[in-house]
Amino acid sequence: MASYFGIDKIFKALRIIRDHGGIRASLYQLYRVDDLKDGTLVGEDAMGNKYYENKQLTLGRNRWVIYNPSVGTDYDGSMVPAEWFGWLHHKTDQPPTKVAPTSYGWQSGHQMNVTGTADAYMPYSTTKPKVEAWTPPKAA
Amino acid sequence: MGHPGEGLLLGMGATRAQSSGPEKIEVFIDDQPVMVPPGTTVLQAAAEAGVEIPRFCYHERLSVAGNCRMCLVEVEKSVKPVAACAMPVMKGWRIKTDSDMTRKAREGVMEFLLINHPLDCPICDQGGECDLQDQSMAFGSDRSRFLDNKRAVEDKNIGPLVKTIMTRCIHCTRCVRFASEVAGVEDLGTTGRGSDMQIGTYVEKMLMSELSGNVIDLCPVGALTSKPYAFTARPWEIRRTDSVDVMDAVGSNIVVNHRTGEVLRILPRTNEEINEEWLSDKSRFACDGLKRQRLVYPMVKDSSGELRPCQWEDALLVAGRALAAAQGSVAAVAGGLADAESLVALKDLVNKLGGEATCTEEIFPEDGSGTDLRSSYLLNTTIAGVEEADLVLLVGTNPRFEAPLFNARLRKAWVHNELDVAVLGPNVNLTYEAEHIGEDPAIIEKLLSGTHPFSQRLKAARRPMVVVGSALLSRPDGGLLYARLQQLAHQLRAGCEGGAEWRVLNVLHRVASQVAALDLGYTPGVSKVRNAPPQVLYLLGADEGAITREDLPADCLVIYQGHHGDRGAEMADVVLPGAAYTEKMATYVNTEGRAQQAQAALVPPGMAREDWKIIRALSEVVGAQLPYDNLAEVRDRLTEVSPNLTRYGDVEEANYFAQASALAQLVKGKQEAAPIDVPQKVLEDFYMTNSVSRASPTMAKCIAAIKKEAANRHRDK
Amino acid sequence: MASKLARAGVRQVKPILSVDHGEARQRVLNLYKAWYRQLPYIVMDYDLPKSKEECRAKLREEFMKHHHVQDIRVIDMLVIKGQMELKETVEIWKQKHGLMAYWKDTVEPKPQGFLNKFLDGHE
Repeated sequence: MASYFGIDKIFKALRIIRDHGGIRASLYQLYRVDDLKDGTLVGEDAMGNKYYENKQLTLGRNRWVIYNPSVGTDYDGSMVPAEWFGWLHHKTDQPPTKVAPTSYGWQSGHQMNVTGTADAYMPYSTTKPKVEAWTPPKAA
Repeated sequence: MGHPGEGLLLGMGATRAQSSGPEKIEVFIDDQPVMVPPGTTVLQAAAEAGVEIPRFCYHERLSVAGNCRMCLVEVEKSVKPVAACAMPVMKGWRIKTDSDMTRKAREGVMEFLLINHPLDCPICDQGGECDLQDQSMAFGSDRSRFLDNKRAVEDKNIGPLVKTIMTRCIHCTRCVRFASEVAGVEDLGTTGRGSDMQIGTYVEKMLMSELSGNVIDLCPVGALTSKPYAFTARPWEIRRTDSVDVMDAVGSNIVVNHRTGEVLRILPRTNEEINEEWLSDKSRFACDGLKRQRLVYPMVKDSSGELRPCQWEDALLVAGRALAAAQGSVAAVAGGLADAESLVALKDLVNKLGGEATCTEEIFPEDGSGTDLRSSYLLNTTIAGVEEADLVLLVGTNPRFEAPLFNARLRKAWVHNELDVAVLGPNVNLTYEAEHIGEDPAIIEKLLSGTHPFSQRLKAARRPMVVVGSALLSRPDGGLLYARLQQLAHQLRAGCEGGAEWRVLNVLHRVASQVAALDLGYTPGVSKVRNAPPQVLYLLGADEGAITREDLPADCLVIYQGHHGDRGAEMADVVLPGAAYTEKMATYVNTEGRAQQAQAALVPPGMAREDWKIIRALSEVVGAQLPYDNLAEVRDRLTEVSPNLTRYGDVEEANYFAQASALAQLVKGKQEAAPIDVPQKVLEDFYMTNSVSRASPTMAKCIAAIKKEAANRHRDK
Repeated sequence: MASKLARAGVRQVKPILSVDHGEARQRVLNLYKAWYRQLPYIVMDYDLPKSKEECRAKLREEFMKHHHVQDIRVIDMLVIKGQMELKETVEIWKQKHGLMAYWKDTVEPKPQGFLNKFLDGHE
C-alpha cells in the first residue's frame, strides 16, 4: 500500500537522512560527494576511508568509498589503497577485511599521487652551467 | 737597402739582408714558367706558380730543416728526387710536382712516416686538422707493408698548456726550431738517431715560454696538442669568428672557436703587421676565464649592504636616480678591457650630465703636450717597423711579458737583422741578448746631454727606436722622464737615416683600451677623481684597483659595469653586467694606433648586454638621452670624435714630434732617485694581469706549475 | 603627363580576370557583398564571441587594407584569395581560432624605442 503510493520512498529518504546524521550532515554529504546513498559499511582502511556496499543498486554504483572526513573536498581517487581497489572495482568480491591480502616485507605503505602538491617530483638539470656566475662577497 | 715588406714575402724577414736585384731567373714548375730571384727554393718557386708541395717540416717562419722528405719532387735531368724545401732553384730547371717519380717518392715517404705513427686518429685531438691525416689521404698508399711491432715513446710533461703524445711524433722538429728561434728558449731538442730519435726537454722540465702555445699550431700531427682543449671538440663542429685579442695592447688577430654558446679555444689569425701567425699564451689560453666569475644579472645593494640580483629596470632606475641627483658630480673610470664604443658612450653620458672627470686606470703623464698630440702615446714605428730598426732602447718596460708578440718581433730582428737592443731598467731576460745600461733614472738626462757612453751608440744608429714602457710613465716623476725621452727621441730623429719618415719615439702600452681612451679624450690616471671625489663614480671595467672605496666619501655611489666579478664589482653599489670581448662587436685600438674590430662570437651570458647599449639605456633613464640607437650610429659618433677609430686595420700616422719636444723642454720637476722598475719581471707575473685572466683556471695552473718548477733541480737558475 | 607616357610605354600585360578597373571594382564589390551576407551565419556556425557589427567592421577593415591597390591583376588576385577564404570559412574548413586570428587579441605589440627594446631583451 505504502509502496503503491510511493510513501515508502519518503520513509527511505528520511531513513537515509537519519543514517547520515541529520539534515545538516546530509546536505554536507551531498555537497561533498554529490550523492546520498544508504549502504552497509564493509570496512575501513588505514587512512580512515570507509567502504560501503548496497547490492540493491545497479552494478558500478553499488560499491563506493567515502573518504576520510579530514580531507574535506580535497580527495583523490589515488587515496584508495591497493587492497581496497580490487574490491571497489569488482576485481574481487572478497574485501580485505574478509580475506587479508598477502603482505610482503618489501612492500611500502600506500602513498597517494602527489602530483600538483608541494611534494610532487620536480626533475632538475644535473649538467653544469656553461657560465659560472659571480657571487658577491658577504658584507662584513 | 731593400724595400720594407719585400723581404717579408720571402719569409724569414731578413729585410735588410735581402737584395732586390733585377736579375731574376726563370724556372718551370710543371712546364709553367716562373721568374724568381736567385736563392729561392723549389718550394717557394712552386708556391709562386700556385702549386703547393706537401710538407711537414718546412715552415715559412722557421729555418729549413729538410728532414721529413715529404716535399720530394722530380727535377728533370736529376737522377734522384730533390727535397723542394731546401734546394735552391737553378736557371732553367724543369720541376715536376706531379710526375710518377714524385708521386712514388711521396708515397714511399708517407709509408715510412706511418710505420711508427699510431693509428689512433679517432681519439686524437688533431683529428680533422691533421697534416698527416690529410696528406696520407692525398698522397699515401692505401696499405702498409709493415708487419713488425710499432715503436712507442714515453710522453713528456712540459707544463699545463701543451699536452704531449710523443708516440705520434714524426720528428719534423718544427717545435724545436720554434722554441729556439722564435720563442728563444732552448728547452726543446732531439735525442737519439733514426728510429730511436725523440723530441723532448732532455730532462724532465717545463717549457717555460710565454709563446709555448704556438707549438700546438705548428705540430703537423697530434704529438703536441692543447691540454685545456683536450677531448673537447672536433674542428668540423666548431664555429669560427674572427676577432681581436685584448689581453695586451698588441691587438693580436685571433679566431674564436666556439660551439653551442661556449668559447672552446682561441687560435691566432695571420696578420703580418701585428702578430704574424703567433699568439701569446695568455691570449690563447685565458679564454676559459670567460666562463667563470661572470656577471650575469644586474645587482643592487640592499639595505643590509649586500648585492642582490635584480631586474634591469631596477638597476637602471637606482643608477639613473643617483646620476640625476648628483647634479654633475659624476666621474667615470675606464679599465683596460673597455672598447671604444662604450668609452665614447660613457664619456658622452658623463659630459652630458655635467661631469668632467673621465679617466682611465692606466697612467700617462700630462706634463708637456700630454696626450694632446697623438704621436706622444703611440708605438709610432709600428710593430712591423721594428724589422727596419738597428738599435732599440727599451726604457722601463719588459716587452717579453707586457707585449710578447712585440718582443717576438724584436727577437726576430735581433736574429735576422742584427738589431741591437739596450735596456734601461731592471735587467730582465728578454730571450735575446740585450745590453743593460742601468736602472738609474738619471741616465736619461745623461743620454740627452750626450755624456753617457751609450750616447755615441745612439747617435751612430741609423734607425734607432726608443720604446717607453708604461711602468716608467706611471712613476711620480714619469712626466719629467718622459719629457726628456721625447727630447732625446727628437734629437736622434734629426740624425737618423730614415729622416722624417722614421719615428724614434715609441710608447708600449699594457692594456687594450688605453689608446682608444686617449684618442677619445679620456684623462689618463685617476688623480682627478681622487682629488675631487664625485657623488657618483662609474667604473667601466675598472678592476685594477686604481681607485678604492677608501679614496671615496662614504655617500659616494659606485656603479660598476663590466663582465667579471673582480675588484671593481666588489666595491660597487650597482652592478651592470656587460659583455666580454668575444661577445660584442667592438672597436679596439692597439698600441700602434691601429683600430681593429672584434666580432661577436657569442651572446653575452644571462642578462648581460653589450656595453654601449647599457650606457645608452641608462642615459634615457637619467633623462640625458644619447643620440645613437645602433652600432652604426655609435661608430659615426666615434668617427666624429676621432676618425682613425673606425679606419679598421690601418695605422693612422701621427706627427708633431717637434712640437711635442718643444713643449717637453718646458717640463720641470724633481727627479726621484728610485731605480726604474717594471712590474712583470718573471714568467710568473705574466699570466694574470686582468679580470679575464685572473678568473682563468688555466692561468692559475700555469702559475702553480711555475712555482713548482722552481724546485726542479734540473733547471738552471 | 610623364606618367601617361610611361604607361603607354609599358607593355600591355595579360589580364587575369578583369580587363578594366570597372570590372575589377565590380568583382570586389561582389566579394564584399558575399562576405557581408555570410557574416551572420559565420558568427553562428563558429560561435564567434563577436557581434555581427564587429565582424562587419573587421570585414571593412580587411578590405580597406588594400584600398591603395591600383594594379588590376593584383586586385583580381586579392579577389580570388578572398573568395578562397570565404569558401573555406563558409564550408567550415577553418576553425574558430583561425577566424579569431583576424582580431589579433593575443598578439603582444613589439616594444618600440631603444629603452623598451633593451628592457625587453631585444637590444
